[in-house]
Amino acid sequence: MSELRTPSSAALVRMVAGREVSSRIRDKNFIISSVVIVLLLLGVMAFQVVVNSGSDTSRLAVVDGTEGVGPAVQAQGEAVGLDVELVDLPDEGAARAALEAEEVDAVLLDGGAAPELLLADRDPTLEAVVGSAVAEVAVTGQLVEAGVDLQAVPQLGVTTLEGDDEADGQRVVVAIIGVAVLYGLLILFAQFVAQGVVEEKASRVVELLLATMRPWQLLAGKILGLGVLGLAQIVLIAVVGVTGALAFDVVSVPGELVSTVVTVVAWFVLGYAFYASVFAVAASLVSRQEDLGSVLTPMTILLVAGFVVAIQAAGDPSSTLATVTSYVPGLSPLVMPVRQAAGEVAVWEIALSVVVMLVAIAVVVRVGGRVYAGALLRTTGKTKLREALRAERA
Amino acid sequence: MLEFDGLTKSYGANRVLDDVTFAVAPGTMFGFCGSNGAGKTTTMRIALGLVRADAGEVRWRGRPLDHEVRRRIGYMPEERGLYPKMRVGEQLAYFARLHGLDARAAGRAADEWAGRLGLGDRRGDAVEKLSLGNQQRVQLAAALVSRPEVLILDEPFSGLDPVGVDALADGLLEQVRGGVPVVFSSHQLDLVERLCDSVGILARGRMVAVGTVPELRQREAGRLLRVVVPDAPRGWAAALPGVRVVSEQAGDTLLALDAGGDDQAVLAAAVRTGRVTHFAWREPTLVELFREAVADDRTPEAVAA
Repeated sequence: MSELRTPSSAALVRMVAGREVSSRIRDKNFIISSVVIVLLLLGVMAFQVVVNSGSDTSRLAVVDGTEGVGPAVQAQGEAVGLDVELVDLPDEGAARAALEAEEVDAVLLDGGAAPELLLADRDPTLEAVVGSAVAEVAVTGQLVEAGVDLQAVPQLGVTTLEGDDEADGQRVVVAIIGVAVLYGLLILFAQFVAQGVVEEKASRVVELLLATMRPWQLLAGKILGLGVLGLAQIVLIAVVGVTGALAFDVVSVPGELVSTVVTVVAWFVLGYAFYASVFAVAASLVSRQEDLGSVLTPMTILLVAGFVVAIQAAGDPSSTLATVTSYVPGLSPLVMPVRQAAGEVAVWEIALSVVVMLVAIAVVVRVGGRVYAGALLRTTGKTKLREALRAERA
Repeated sequence: MLEFDGLTKSYGANRVLDDVTFAVAPGTMFGFCGSNGAGKTTTMRIALGLVRADAGEVRWRGRPLDHEVRRRIGYMPEERGLYPKMRVGEQLAYFARLHGLDARAAGRAADEWAGRLGLGDRRGDAVEKLSLGNQQRVQLAAALVSRPEVLILDEPFSGLDPVGVDALADGLLEQVRGGVPVVFSSHQLDLVERLCDSVGILARGRMVAVGTVPELRQREAGRLLRVVVPDAPRGWAAALPGVRVVSEQAGDTLLALDAGGDDQAVLAAAVRTGRVTHFAWREPTLVELFREAVADDRTPEAVAA
């Protein structure tokens, strides 16, 4: 009657989206999966912290050290990835006591003619590091005494082709974790969309819905609603991850970390738009949840392939496979973030990949929208793709 | 008027609707009968815009139905459709909003209709937890919650127990009193006969009879004569001109008279055989009208509604 107004398209899409969010947010499976992902992420970081603190730092007490032996030990240690912390102790007695009390891992007695290393347990790495440091200091001393000009010894200049190795390595690790999360969320939310479409078909509620709105409004609302939820979840994971990583001091380059995470989130948006549409369209072809697996399999395989290539690309980001697949729509959201994190991707390459992906999304939405509209009211058995396309035109 | 005008639809070579035409006045109830697969559901789906007609259109108040007008139609699909896991109250409010009520009015309407259909204390339950009868009530509430101007219900009574049927019938009559035209399909012809102001019978995609039940009867009445003559020999009426014996059992005779048949001649012949214990025009039930209409594939002779 008079209180009835015709809702605009935007209002209808909002209503559908709102229903998706409010019904999903109360779904136990959704809540549990969210909590599990966050806990898993925290667990990985905690593990990192434990592993780092356990092995990579050694405390070395130096007694009567020759000048320069401490820094030499540290320099040698760095070369093999061992952080050496120097502790100054006045005499052998104090040093032995510290070693007994496990305040230090080793003691270097450098006073006599033959330097001696005291260890609680054997530690080949530390032994080698200290050994070569002591030798180096001794050789240098003798050379200087002999009047050899050390300036003449050529310094080895080091340049890595891959840029700053450590930072890149960290970014790649972050990208792998990010892509793994992205992969999990894409599968999860695209499945949600597919299940929602089939639920509406199986329960025939779709007939009531389509009496009040057009198929595209229903599809758009469903994808947007779940998309907002998915984005909220990946942002939550990103915030927890970044905060945790900084708090636990797992990463050394916070700026790089943040930029990689932002990249992953941005690719999630594109990937979700693509997979949600494809899954929704595929799901509209069947009318029972049991048949869902068969129509989703091809797309799921694409998603898994993308993930596998992404992991592989992390090891070899400039391989042909990684380069090519980072432009393939559907694969690019998983592969490109890894290549970007590894560096060496020109801006135009990213732009091209994004544009190809956007074009693919546009095509899927256009063609898929027609299939969806044509198949939605065929609530018996499985509809063939061609039939659905024809039905819409008829 | 809600007018269905010349609806025609084919799926491939299969013509499922052929020039289906009828009209429903505001404040009247129209019963839509037909065998399974006759095309009732397709007709209703065309009205709701779920199926596109090859030809013809449906009009409400002289205006062809479009998206905006359809929003004022309350619809109950043949295959019931509700979100199984959604709560009753929220579900009703959602459908009310889709039909254009604002959020507050939708909430109020949902509460009101849940209460009126006896679902007041089930508002917080998921639909799948309700009995089938109660789910049916929710389905009806979903059709009524937006205060529709028109009601189109596909088999609303199927699967209801007699108490449920009465409750639903009362609900529909109330809508009719409020000036809403109601179209519903049903196989329960006694129910259609009791409730409907007019009836349409669809057979193989064509309207074979449309009119009020008395009108349809009149058309058939004057044709069937029941005479009970216990002492008559078998075949006593066979030779009478313009008369066909439909059935004859121990003197209980059903005769079909065509235009040239004379009922008085039949009576005279009956009296000649001995006692006459019954002589009357037979008023056909809707079931018989339906059987006859569906059985022979005649051209539709629509009686003015």
